[in-house]
Amino acid sequence: MATQEKTTAIPSDFHLARKAEDELLAELARRGYSKGSLFSIKLALEEGLNNAIKHGNRLDPKKIVELSYQVSKDCVVIRITDQGSGFDLGAVPDPTSDENLEKPCGRGIMLMRAYMDEVHFNADGNQVRMMKRNT
Amino acid sequence: MKTSKRDSALKLESRQVGPATVVRVIGSAGMEEAERLRALIEDLVTRQVGIIVLDLADMDFICSLGLSAIISGHIKCRHYNGQIRLLKPQPAVLQLLETTRLTQLFPIFESLDQASKA
Repeated sequence: MATQEKTTAIPSDFHLARKAEDELLAELARRGYSKGSLFSIKLALEEGLNNAIKHGNRLDPKKIVELSYQVSKDCVVIRITDQGSGFDLGAVPDPTSDENLEKPCGRGIMLMRAYMDEVHFNADGNQVRMMKRNT
Repeated sequence: MKTSKRDSALKLESRQVGPATVVRVIGSAGMEEAERLRALIEDLVTRQVGIIVLDLADMDFICSLGLSAIISGHIKCRHYNGQIRLLKPQPAVLQLLETTRLTQLFPIFESLDQASKA
């Protein structure tokens, strides 16, 4: 099966983001990705898309989230880009520290890093690139 | 039994078991569904339900928005000495709770009988 590449422009809407996410997950399932890998990728996708829609694009339906991915049988590379002004990665507190455990928010980036094999943000802070090997 | 159901990846079913209100969470508590979970927990907390048991045996996924809904409920019900307890999370969800250290906030039970005791 050849590597598949796709780019989708999604309005800042959770339902539409979910449809794009489901399409990617279905492709991964067709390629035999393990249940554990699918859980990890789904989680990282949800966190990345939620961050892009809610924090990057501030839920503005006129703003777009671009989801692009390359899928092979061995790994998937995902890029999520929003139209926001970015953020300071260094200013994100550790959600697992005792003082932050009861904070309702702030776990998205930590979860992406915990569940994907590679996570990189661009300098502007409005794009995340993630990679996960099928294990 | 009250059911919050729609053509959705998430179903929520509430019932009373002794002193506890048990909410069976079925399916996926992802970014699209988390608000419904939040609303249900918020309703229980507003009514000052003392013991809220989230039965996670059939919940196969949760993201940080779903976790946020549970944490928000935990903070609010503490004000009246209420408690949210988690019942039988699936292995992947339990691992997620451990990764986020939320196992420090929520008692986790394997038995409904134990989870619903005063």
